[in-house]
Amino acid sequence: MARLVISWIDRRFPLTKFIKHELTEYPTPRNLNYWWNFGFLAGFVLVLQIISGVFLAMHYKPDALLAFASIEHIMREVNYGWLLRYLHSTGASAFFVVIFIHMARTLYYGTYRAPRELMWWTGQVLLVLLMATAFMGYLLPWGQMSYWGAQVITNLFGATPMIGDEVVVWLRGDFVVGDATINRFFVLHFLFPFLICGMVLIHLVALHYVRSSNPSGFNLDAKDNIPFHPYFTTKDLFGLGVFLVIFCFFVFFYPEFFIESENNIPADPLNTPAHIVPEWYFLPFYAILRAIPDMLGGVVAMVLSILIFTAMPYLDRSKIPGGSRYRPAYRILFYVFVVNVAVLAYVGAQPPTDAMTLLGRIATFIYFGVFLLLPFLSKHEEKWLLERGLSREVLDLIEGEESHERRRKATARREETKR
Amino acid sequence: MRAMLPSLMALLCVMSTYDLRAASPSSSLADVELSHESENLKRGAQFVLSMCTGCHNLTYVKYRELLRIGFNHQEVAELKGDNDINAPIFSPDIVEMTKSLFGLVPPDLSLIAKAREGKGRYIYTLLTSYHQNEDGSVDNSVFPGIRMPDVLSYSSTTDDQDRKVLEEQARDAAVFLEWTADPHANDRRTMGYYVMGYLIVFTFLLWFLKRRTWSQLEGK
Repeated sequence: MARLVISWIDRRFPLTKFIKHELTEYPTPRNLNYWWNFGFLAGFVLVLQIISGVFLAMHYKPDALLAFASIEHIMREVNYGWLLRYLHSTGASAFFVVIFIHMARTLYYGTYRAPRELMWWTGQVLLVLLMATAFMGYLLPWGQMSYWGAQVITNLFGATPMIGDEVVVWLRGDFVVGDATINRFFVLHFLFPFLICGMVLIHLVALHYVRSSNPSGFNLDAKDNIPFHPYFTTKDLFGLGVFLVIFCFFVFFYPEFFIESENNIPADPLNTPAHIVPEWYFLPFYAILRAIPDMLGGVVAMVLSILIFTAMPYLDRSKIPGGSRYRPAYRILFYVFVVNVAVLAYVGAQPPTDAMTLLGRIATFIYFGVFLLLPFLSKHEEKWLLERGLSREVLDLIEGEESHERRRKATARREETKR
Repeated sequence: MRAMLPSLMALLCVMSTYDLRAASPSSSLADVELSHESENLKRGAQFVLSMCTGCHNLTYVKYRELLRIGFNHQEVAELKGDNDINAPIFSPDIVEMTKSLFGLVPPDLSLIAKAREGKGRYIYTLLTSYHQNEDGSVDNSVFPGIRMPDVLSYSSTTDDQDRKVLEEQARDAAVFLEWTADPHANDRRTMGYYVMGYLIVFTFLLWFLKRRTWSQLEGK
């Protein structure tokens, strides 16, 4: 019976072919380590956020007068409403943890390099969409931090030359963050995840076209590729289990860890909190914003700090494939960058004293310096490595890649003559 | 794996900066044990509903919810007075009255424990930090210039034994307000133990599944 149904479908839709091509026969490098789990985990968190979010939206009221109380209604009276909300609020932080690790993996192993530039760039678009979604979602509880965070960030658009004030009013729908703002942020917070889903689809199509990279940075010989299912389905599921243990620990035992205590006070437009801090995942970028004394300059630097990742495939000029595995100088640069981002996050959380401002400026300088140093460093490193002679391991990999390439070309030729 | 450890540590650094920020203001709070036993909750509720609700509302708590911390219907009927059992612990008169008396509306207490760093510990410390200045005026060392009167008369009590009793009351009030801020905390933790147990076993099974699957590759 099942076979009949499937063959009926197969005559009308490439179901079996699809499963074969994308899953059971999809060749995946066997040397992928656990850092390759995080793309799957990001997909899982996206689904979790959409499902919990849709159920929350059934009880939430996007109205300046009702929003705060409707959240309390969810927390107290809706059956397991507290679970839905804590899954969603912890999920937001989990999303960024997973995405930041996913990005760090890409940077560490240099997997943004050809032919995976489009994967890197679609990933960038996803990051920006995710940030926008998270920012708008954070206004919805209508607490003090929600309100003043939105007030400060929408204010930044006032730095637009000539039409700054108009842009701010256009974004808010009012002269200050108010009822019009919360309503539109709710609509967009509901819409954006579906844009993200569409972008994820493109990200995945690109992935299945260029195939997974691997820690070595070389294209592996055919014998070192294994089917995605069952090997990586089981590996990803185990990773998911570990993720859920950590995630649920926060949801059930420390759900308020990621929620600013000030946000339990309803938004009060007449009372500015002493110290406005964004959510932890925006802290490094917030520190860069504050490091520049001029507002327009700060906004430009903050936007650049995210967009500059786009240039990575061109900034890395080394002929030696991959990232840190066989390139010690690149590896050092990676760690400098990661530690520096941690410093920026720390600075972003502190009140702006003189010492903090200085530290923020130094860290901002290092942040951009790392990107600007990369083209020269990668060239020098390449020269140095070639002079020193490549190790046996790397030579084997080059040989594997070449034989892989030969076979690929041979198949392409066969196809050509067939036609 | 080992090569990636430093980056994991860097990530932990980012997380800990967040924690640092949360921990610093509460370091000056009294290190008091707050036990959420039904008795403490009930005593705390009685204290808050007699001493605090004259000026503060508890907008998001309804009288019937008091049944969940161990009161019976008779006791709740006494606590609610003329109010409906489904009504929130809220009186619109308070807003007008306090505004004319103190010049501002005292904060709503339903979420106050979550709204302050240190949660119940903050409330306990605040209530027991009233002291008399040399000129006889009363002030609070946690919140200098506070306009809330010393409801426990802590500043005028000097006897250690009497102060112990007041501290007990402050502790119960803190426990009750932690409950009003997060009434499902106990259910959540109980469910959490089951969820964690299930997930840990399930993850172990997935690990064995992964190992068994990958063992087919050996020698290939």
